Amino acid sequence: MENYKVDLFLMTKGKYFKSHHLMEIRERLLRADDSRGVIQTMQFHDPVLLLVVSILVGALGIDRFMIGDTGLGVLKLITCGGFGIWAIIDWFLIMDLTKDKNMEKLQPFLY
Amino acid sequence: MLEKRNRLYLLLAGVCCAGYAWLLFWLWQNPLSGVTRLAVGCFIKNVTTMPCPSCGSTQSVICILHGEFLDAIYWNPLGFVILSGLVIMPVWIMFDLLLRKQTLFMTYQKAEKQLGTRRVALPLIIIVIANWAWNITKGI
Repeated sequence: MENYKVDLFLMTKGKYFKSHHLMEIRERLLRADDSRGVIQTMQFHDPVLLLVVSILVGALGIDRFMIGDTGLGVLKLITCGGFGIWAIIDWFLIMDLTKDKNMEKLQPFLY
Repeated sequence: MLEKRNRLYLLLAGVCCAGYAWLLFWLWQNPLSGVTRLAVGCFIKNVTTMPCPSCGSTQSVICILHGEFLDAIYWNPLGFVILSGLVIMPVWIMFDLLLRKQTLFMTYQKAEKQLGTRRVALPLIIIVIANWAWNITKGI
């Protein structure tokens, strides 16, 4: 990928990834072939949106459903957000989890 | 893969332990019948005063343990699912750990994939919403 495309990608979508992953993503993207523009059009989950969802309806497991953890979402739903404790723990974890999921989604295109 | 499996098993074991602790606490608090008390452990109910889809499941499980199955259905049919999970999960986790297998993890991944399809997800969402509406009308 060209340098300016990589910079544009990191400027617009850098917030969806953990900061310590950004250098690795940059290096990999520079080496990656994106002639079809798949990487630039990829959609990622917004960690801030997920945090808001987690605070508002996290006890119903909606945040977990949104990031693709369907099984844990069901578990959270039927346990009333893990007796409320899991729901509160997830307020602090969900942003990092979302960034990890975004990284997992991008991973196949980097190697 | 193994790390993911262990993390899932740890989480499931934790949830089961918390479930048993909660159940023991309820039985210890009210050994003859726990059905007269309101759900005190629900985060949503305490904050919004509105019951959540799984409100009443503790009473439901206690009713099942007392053999009052119709009462259990009235309180929350999810009680049957939760009690089955509480019984099956620890045994399944122990089986996998002792025999160094990952049957539960594989089943979980398959189930998660199935749950992601519209064919399975849509009816389940409708059932959960219907159960929630029933909980609200019952005023649990």
